[in-house]
Amino acid sequence: MNFKKLFLITYLIIFFPSVSSQLRIEIKGGIEESISIAVVPMQWNLEIPQEIFIHEVVKSDLESFGEFNVLPPRNMLSLPTTKEEVFYQDWRLLGSDYLVIGNIESTEIDQEIRVSYTIFDVVKERVIHRGSVLGPLSTLRKMGHKISDKIYARIQGIPGIFSTKIAYIDKPSKSDPNYNLMISDIDGKNSLSLFSSPQPLMSPSWSPDMKSISYVSFEEGTSRIFIQKLSNAERRGLKLEKGINSSPNWAPDGKKISAVLSKSGNPDIFIYDLELSTWLQVTNHFGIDTEPDWSPNSRNILFTSNRSGSPQLYEVNTRTKRIKRLTFEGTYNARGRYLPNGKGIIFVHRQNGVFHIATQNLRTGKIRILTDTRLDESPTVSPNGNVVLYATKDGDKDILAGITLDGKTKFVMPSLKGEAREPSWSPLID
Amino acid sequence: MNIFQKFYLTFLVIFLASCSSVSTDRTNDATAISASATGAYSDGGITSNNVLYFAYDRSDINSAGRAKIRNLAKMIKDNDLSVRVEGHCDERGTREYNLALGEQRAKTVAELLIINGVSSSKISTVSYGEEKPAASGSNENSWSKNRRALVKTF
Repeated sequence: MNFKKLFLITYLIIFFPSVSSQLRIEIKGGIEESISIAVVPMQWNLEIPQEIFIHEVVKSDLESFGEFNVLPPRNMLSLPTTKEEVFYQDWRLLGSDYLVIGNIESTEIDQEIRVSYTIFDVVKERVIHRGSVLGPLSTLRKMGHKISDKIYARIQGIPGIFSTKIAYIDKPSKSDPNYNLMISDIDGKNSLSLFSSPQPLMSPSWSPDMKSISYVSFEEGTSRIFIQKLSNAERRGLKLEKGINSSPNWAPDGKKISAVLSKSGNPDIFIYDLELSTWLQVTNHFGIDTEPDWSPNSRNILFTSNRSGSPQLYEVNTRTKRIKRLTFEGTYNARGRYLPNGKGIIFVHRQNGVFHIATQNLRTGKIRILTDTRLDESPTVSPNGNVVLYATKDGDKDILAGITLDGKTKFVMPSLKGEAREPSWSPLID
Repeated sequence: MNIFQKFYLTFLVIFLASCSSVSTDRTNDATAISASATGAYSDGGITSNNVLYFAYDRSDINSAGRAKIRNLAKMIKDNDLSVRVEGHCDERGTREYNLALGEQRAKTVAELLIINGVSSSKISTVSYGEEKPAASGSNENSWSKNRRALVKTF
């Protein structure tokens, strides 16, 4: 791999034009080592004019988190569309480690297209992957994301996340007096309001099959947990209990939801059985127990409790109900989420009165503070474990921001519709 | 380059040569559908008669607040009103934790109303956490206005 010394200044802020990306990325650190790749404009073999360009979608995806540096077509010496037209030496001269070419054609089925592409390792002068994506013409952007995922996976060795989605809450603005439950692509495009209400909406969480979202709505004058199907907007309210009904989070098997109820007089962790429509109490303490999250192996639930006098993170075994305290550093550790590999947690950590996002290694207990802004909350991790998205402030405005877990790349989500909060990253579905 | 490095590189080339792959993926145009709250709760007909303020991360009421609640309790009993107590927080701290804190504030006020003779059957409580701030702005001036309980009568 040819490590290029790309970024010589300490802070480099790139504002991508809206056509290629809506993410505003700031790459942090002295000299950044990123992978150079050339994505050649693909041959368009359809009768109709081209509106979305796959190579631009892929460029924008791969550059999202600073890991790739994508060669712009104007710097290319040739624009090959077949393997025979590829001269490795040209691409080596340009400093590209990898090359992607492809073409787009119609199939026998009306409105269906096929994007065929090839990924080359320029240094080793060989093809590392040949693939095709089939789908309706209307899904061209999605097809681009699929190709980005494949490129990412082949080169980085872990799944790409460009086909995943995020859910978040848009708070009322001058243009819209309602709270909106939104979903969008991870670059902020294709945003859509799933549910709209004049009363607060909170805590979106994806079902493991990515087909439903659970959230809290105050539309009945009190907090209540709802599940909504994406395909038909069908909604189901979980059995309402007196007091707080909040913090829904799906079990890995998709059959249960952990949540918070205060029906016993104070907030405790409960599990809702979606088949039986019943609540089962998991924790029972006179303090505040809240913000549950299932461990990837579904054995434990992470939660926040002030039972020691200040909010700290604990883990409860769902079978034995045994409780273990996990955080000891500082006087405010809350809203924890397991990392996808189950080996660490990410949470909100207060230091000198300021709220940051931090991770803790569950084996060593070592804490690492990731963010340096002021009112950071609601961390959510990409399903490949590489990127964390969180809510923060830009002045008085609620915005979404992100950082790679290695701390090298920071980015800010575009001001989507209004002010966004409580991001939730979808699972990875094929 | 020593012999080990040569061997390693040869191994790597052979290994990588065996991993060229072929894939076919499919996308679909499944899109999600929107919905909106119908007949949602509104405060129509309810008036906010009094506001009680709290210190950061606290749910206890000072003596001025207690006097306010005494007067409020008398007014509620005299007019045979029902009350809804709403607990609110400032934006600091996590949202769901603040929902719990807002509930503690609402309950403190409800308990003091009961101590002052209001029937518990006339009182309901709800916490909005930090979701319905009275003042926007990330500063103490706004925060102090947002750490509150509203006593609404109807």
